[in-house]
Amino acid sequence: MGSWIPEFAMAMARWVQAVLPGLPHLLRGRWVEGGAALSLWLGLLALAVVRFDRILQAPGGRLDERVALLTLVLALGAVWGWSWRSGAGRGAASEEGEGNRGGILPGGWRAFRKNRMALLGLMMAVSFYLAMLLTPFLAPFDPLAMPAFDETGHASLRLAPPSPSHIMGTDQYSRDIFSRILYGARISLTIGLLAVGISVTLGTFLGAVAGYLGGVVDSVLMRLLDMFMAFPGIVLLLAVVALFEPSVFLVAAALALTQWPFTTRMVRGEILALREREFAEAARALGFSRVRILMRHLLPNAMPSVVVVATLGIGNAIVLEAGLSFLGLGVPAATPSWGTMVDHGRAYLLDAWWVVTFPGLAIVLAVLAFNLLGDGLRDALDPRQGGTVER
Amino acid sequence: MKRAVPCSLLIAVVLTACTEAHDATGRGAHAGFCEAVLAQVDSFMATVAGDRPGGARYGGMAVVGAPAELGGMNAFAHGDAGAVQHQMFVNLMTLVRYDEKLEPMAYLARSWDVSEDESELTFHLRDDIYWHDGHLTTAYDVAFTYLTAVDPRSGFPNPAFFQNYLPGEGGVEVVDSFTVRFRLRPHAEYMDPWRTVAIMPRHLLGDVPPEALARHPYGEVCPVGNGPFRFVSRSPGDRWVFGANPSFPPELGGGAYLDRYVYRVIPEQTTLLAELLTGGVDVHVAMFPNHARRAEAEPGLRVLSFPYRSVLFAGWNSRVGKLSDPRLRRALTLGVNRRQIMEGIHGEQAVLVNSGIPPVHWAFDPTLGDSFPYDPGRARDLLEAAGWTDRDGDGIREDPEGAPLRIELIMNQNQERQEVAEIMRVQLREVGVDLGPRVLEFGTLMGRITSPQRDFEGVLVSWEAEFRLDERDLFHSEAVDGLWAFSGTMDPVLDRHLDTLQLVVDRASAIPVWHAYQNRIMDVHPNTYLYSSYRRNGVRDRLRDVVMDARGEWASIREWWIAPEDRRTP
Amino acid sequence: MLLYAVRRVLGAVPLLLGVATVVFLVLALAPGDPASVYLKPGMSPETLEQIRRNLGLDAPLHVQYGRWLLSFLQGDFGQSLAGGMPVKDRILAVLPNTLLLASVALFLAFAAGILIGVVQAVRQHSLLDSVLSGGSLLFYSMPSFWLAIMMILVFSVNAGNVWGWPVSFPPSGIASDGHDLMGPMEQIRDRIRHLTLPALTLALVLAGGIARYVRSSMLEVMGQDYIRTARAKGLPEWRVVWKHALRNALIPVVTLMGVYVPLLLGGTVFIEYVFAWPGMGRLMVESILLEDYPVVLAGTFLFGAMVVLGNLLADLLYGVVDPRIRHGHG
Repeated sequence: MGSWIPEFAMAMARWVQAVLPGLPHLLRGRWVEGGAALSLWLGLLALAVVRFDRILQAPGGRLDERVALLTLVLALGAVWGWSWRSGAGRGAASEEGEGNRGGILPGGWRAFRKNRMALLGLMMAVSFYLAMLLTPFLAPFDPLAMPAFDETGHASLRLAPPSPSHIMGTDQYSRDIFSRILYGARISLTIGLLAVGISVTLGTFLGAVAGYLGGVVDSVLMRLLDMFMAFPGIVLLLAVVALFEPSVFLVAAALALTQWPFTTRMVRGEILALREREFAEAARALGFSRVRILMRHLLPNAMPSVVVVATLGIGNAIVLEAGLSFLGLGVPAATPSWGTMVDHGRAYLLDAWWVVTFPGLAIVLAVLAFNLLGDGLRDALDPRQGGTVER
Repeated sequence: MKRAVPCSLLIAVVLTACTEAHDATGRGAHAGFCEAVLAQVDSFMATVAGDRPGGARYGGMAVVGAPAELGGMNAFAHGDAGAVQHQMFVNLMTLVRYDEKLEPMAYLARSWDVSEDESELTFHLRDDIYWHDGHLTTAYDVAFTYLTAVDPRSGFPNPAFFQNYLPGEGGVEVVDSFTVRFRLRPHAEYMDPWRTVAIMPRHLLGDVPPEALARHPYGEVCPVGNGPFRFVSRSPGDRWVFGANPSFPPELGGGAYLDRYVYRVIPEQTTLLAELLTGGVDVHVAMFPNHARRAEAEPGLRVLSFPYRSVLFAGWNSRVGKLSDPRLRRALTLGVNRRQIMEGIHGEQAVLVNSGIPPVHWAFDPTLGDSFPYDPGRARDLLEAAGWTDRDGDGIREDPEGAPLRIELIMNQNQERQEVAEIMRVQLREVGVDLGPRVLEFGTLMGRITSPQRDFEGVLVSWEAEFRLDERDLFHSEAVDGLWAFSGTMDPVLDRHLDTLQLVVDRASAIPVWHAYQNRIMDVHPNTYLYSSYRRNGVRDRLRDVVMDARGEWASIREWWIAPEDRRTP
Repeated sequence: MLLYAVRRVLGAVPLLLGVATVVFLVLALAPGDPASVYLKPGMSPETLEQIRRNLGLDAPLHVQYGRWLLSFLQGDFGQSLAGGMPVKDRILAVLPNTLLLASVALFLAFAAGILIGVVQAVRQHSLLDSVLSGGSLLFYSMPSFWLAIMMILVFSVNAGNVWGWPVSFPPSGIASDGHDLMGPMEQIRDRIRHLTLPALTLALVLAGGIARYVRSSMLEVMGQDYIRTARAKGLPEWRVVWKHALRNALIPVVTLMGVYVPLLLGGTVFIEYVFAWPGMGRLMVESILLEDYPVVLAGTFLFGAMVVLGNLLADLLYGVVDPRIRHGHG
C-alpha cells in the first residue's frame, strides 16, 4: 500500500534537489558550499523578481545594464550547473576528478577547500565582483541624483541616517550611500585589478627573463629593482598623481609602479630555483628551445606564487587608492570611488558617521576578502606549509 | 658590485675637492645670524621683564588651531593670509589699524597729516616702540620697508599697493627719526597699504640684497618684531610659540594680557574639531559649517562668525568661443539655484552676490542682492536664443554644428568648492548644459588660469578682496593680458568706471560710481557670482573678550584674556 | 662583518643618487610651477618672474640639477623653496618625530605579532586561532587613515566627553603646548600620552601581517625533529615552545624587519596627517604638493638611505641570530 510513497517521495526529493541548488550539499553536511550555493541562488532569484521591471528594460538599455542581465543569467546557470554536477550522486568521485585535473595543483585545491577562512575570502571576493556586475539591478537609486538640489528641492533628505528606504543613509547631497558604494565598487575594484594586472604582467615577464637568462641582464635588473624598492612608494605615487592630472588609468599605473618589484623578485627567485630541477634539466637535454622551456615548463610552476602575490596585491592596491583619495589626489570627484567617499565624508564624521563608516567598511571587507583568499592560496599551494602539526 | 664602491668614493672625493670654496649665498653667515639675534632678544626681554603689569587679567596661555601653516614673519616674502595677520597684529606693527568702522586709527604712527592737494602724507611715529632686541623703531625702518617693497628685485607680493605712490627714493623722505613723508598721486584709500604692511627692521635686514630677502632666515627662524608678542620658538609644520612683550607701551594697552600664545597647525579638520571639543585648543579657525553647528551645541564653546571679504564665483573665460556670448553666461547664472546651494551649505551665514564686491564692504550695493534669481525657464529661453538646442534627445544641447554644450569647470581641492560644483552640475543638466567639474592641484590650477594661453573654460575660485578694492587687474582692457584677467573682459564702460574709481578719494563720492560699476558688471556678466560666506571660528568660553570681524581673526588678540581660575596648569 | 657593512652602505650611494635623479626628473617634468604658491591677487607677472628668479627657478633644468647635486655632495641639501629654511634643518626638525613613532610602533607591532603568532601556532585550528586570525587580518586590511579617524573618535572625543572614561588621549600633536613648562616626570607622561594613539594605530595595522608570518614559521619549526626530541626528553611544554621553538622560528622573522622598515616609513604618512604629528611623512606630502623639490629630493634620499640601512640591519641580525650563517660570513 505504501510502496509508491517512498518512490514518490524520492522523486520529489530529487526534483527539489534539482531545483534548489545547494540543498544536496547541505543535506550531506557540507555547510559552507551548500549554504553559499543555496543563498546565492535564492538571492539571485529574489533580485530577479524584485527588479523584474528593470530587467525587462535592460536589453534595450545601457551597456552596463545588458552586462548585468547577462551576469544574472550566467550566475544562475553556473550555480545550478555546479550543484547539479558536484551534488547529485557524484559525491566523492567528482572530488577526485577535480583534484587530479590539471596536474600542476595536486591536492592544492582540496587543501584550499578545507581552509574555511580561504573559502570565506573567495566567496566574499566573488560576491563583490558579482555585486559590481549586477549593480544596475542592485542599486535602488541613481548614485549621482541629488533630490535635495533639483528643481523641487527636498532638503530634508540630506544626511539622513540609515532607514528602510536608504539602508545606509544619505550623504550631504542627499545621495543614497548604498547605491554609491555599489557603483564605487567598480572604480575601486577596477583600479585594484588593473594595477595588479599591470604589475604582475610586467613583473612576471621581467622576473622570468632575469631569472632564466642570468648574467648581465639579471644584474642590471636587480640594480633597477633595488632602486625601485629603495624608493619611497608614497613619494612616487604622490608625485605622479598630484602633478599629472589623475584618471583611473593613471592611478592604476602609478600603483602598479610601486608593486612590480615584489612580483619580479619573487618570480625571479622561483625561476632560479626551478631552473635547477630535474624536469628542467630533462627538458634541456631533450633539446627544447630556451623560450619553450621557460614558457611551457618553468613559468607554469611559478604561477601559483604569482597568483598569491597578485591576490594580496589587489587588496594592497585598493587600500593605497583609498589613501590617495583621502589626500584628495585620487580619481576625479564625480566618480564615486570608496576612497573619495571617505575623503568627502570625513568632515561629517561627528554628526553623520554613516557617510564615512560604510565606505570604510566596504574597503576593509574588500581588502579582507582578497587577503583571506591570498592567504588561503598561499597555504594551499605552498608545499612546505599547511597541514596539521603532529603532536 | 666590487667596482661600484671605489667608483663612488672617487666621484665623491673629486667633486668635493673641486667645489671646496663654494658657498654662494653665504649660508654659513646665516647660521650665526639667528643665534646672535635671538640671544640679543633674550637679554633685552630679561631686562624689561619687570615692566609687565601685574593685574589679575595678566597671565595664561591660549592656543589657536588652524589647518594651514604660517609662511613666516617676513612681510616682503610671506603674503599668505595667516602670516599677514600675525605680522599685523601679533609679532610686528603696522603704521595704522582699522577701528570697527574701518577707519584708520593710530598705532605705530601716533598721528598723520595729509597735504591740501593730497599729494603728501606725513606720519609722526611713536618714540617708545622697541624692537624685541632693544633697538628703537624709527622712521628709517619705515623708509626701508617702503623702498624694499617697491623694489622689483625683492619680490614683494603686493607692489600694486604702492602703485600710486611716487616710485623709489622720490616717494619717501625721512624728515627726522620719527617723522616720515610720502609723496603720492592723489588716489582712493591711500592709507590702506599702511594697515597691512608691517614695518620691517632695517638694522637686521637693511644690508641684505633684495633678491636674497625671500630666503633669509629672519622670516622663519628668528623673526624679531616690535609688536605685543615676541617670538619664542617655532617647530616647522607644527607650531609657533609667542610670548608677551613687556616693553609694549602702556598707552597702547601695555601689551598683551596673555603670557603665551601658541599657533598650532592641524591639517585634518576632524582632528582640529576634536582638539577643540576636548579642550586642546582654545580657538578653531576656519571651521566647516557643520562643525560649527556641532560646536554651537556644545557647552563651553561659542562660535564667532562674521561676514568676510571673500566672494565665491565661477569665472568664465570669454575668450573661448561659446563663452563669448553673454547670453550663455547669463543662462549659466540663471540655471543655478544659488540661494539653495548657499543655504544648503552655509545656512544663514552667507549672502548672495552679483559682483566681486563683498557685502561687508562700504561700496557694496545692497539693492542688487536679489538680481538674477533662479529661473530655469528663462535660462532655457536664453540658451535657445543663443542657438543651443537639444538636437539628438540626450538631454544636452548642441550648437548648429552638433558640438555638445560641454563646459569644463576647474577648481582646487577645497571641499566646499567641490560640493558647489557638484550641485551646479546637476542643476545645469536640467537646462541642458553639461558641466564637467574637475579638481586640479593648486599650482597646476594657477598655471592654467594665469598663463597667456588661458587653457581653461570655467574656473571656480574664491576671491579675497582687499579693503582697498581694485578690480582693474580683473576687468580693465589694459590688463587683459595680465595674470588676473581670467574672463578676458574688454568693456569701455567698465574701463571708464575703473579709471574714475582709481582717482576719487573720498568714499561719499565713490559710492555712486561703485554702484554704477556693479550694475555694469551684471550687464556684461563675465562671471557667475555665487555668494560671500561668513568665516566661522570656534572659541572656548574661558578665552574672553575675543572679537573677530572682517579686520581679521587676530585683530583683538591683545585684549584676549583668561581668568586665573580658568588657566591651564602647565 | 664591519667591512661587509661598510661596503654595502657605500655601494648604495650611487643607487640612492639614481633614485634622487629620477625623482628630480618626475618633479621637473610635472606641469605646474613651484612659484605659483606665492601667487596673490593683484600680483603682476613681473613680480612672479622676480620671485622665480629669487628662488633660483629660472635656470634651465640641468643647471638646477647640477647646483643641487653639487651642494648635495657637500652635505648641504639646499634651501626649501617654501620659505628659505635650510632643508637640512627642516628635515632634522621632523625626522626624530617620525623615527620615534616608527620605532615605537614597530616594537609594539612585533611584540604583539610574535605573541599572537606563537599563540596561534600552539593552539592551531582552535577557535582562538580562528578568532585571532580573523581579527588580525581585519586590522591588517584596514586603511590606516580610517582607523586613525575612528581611534580619535573613540578614544579621544567620545572617551572624554561622551562616555566619561577616566583615561582619554589627546587627539593630536607630539606634546602639549605647555610642555616645556612641565617638570621632567610630567613631560615624559605627556609625551607618552601623545604617542599612544598614533603608535597604537600604526602597530595595529602592521601586527596582523607579522603574526601570520610568525605563525607559519612557528608551525614549520614545531614540526621539526629536534622539537620532538625536546618533548621526548621530558621538557615542559612552555620551555619547548619559548626557549627552543621560538628562537629558531624568529630567524626568518628578523628578515621581516628589513621589509617592514620602508612599509613603516611610508605608512606613517596618513597617521601623521590625521594625528597632526610633525614628521617626515607629512613633510614629504606637503613638499610634493608644493613642488618644493629640494625637500623632496633630500627626503627621498634619506628615505632610501633608511631603507638600505634597514635591509643591512636585517641581514646583519640574520647573521647574528642564525648560528649557521655566522661562520660563513667574511
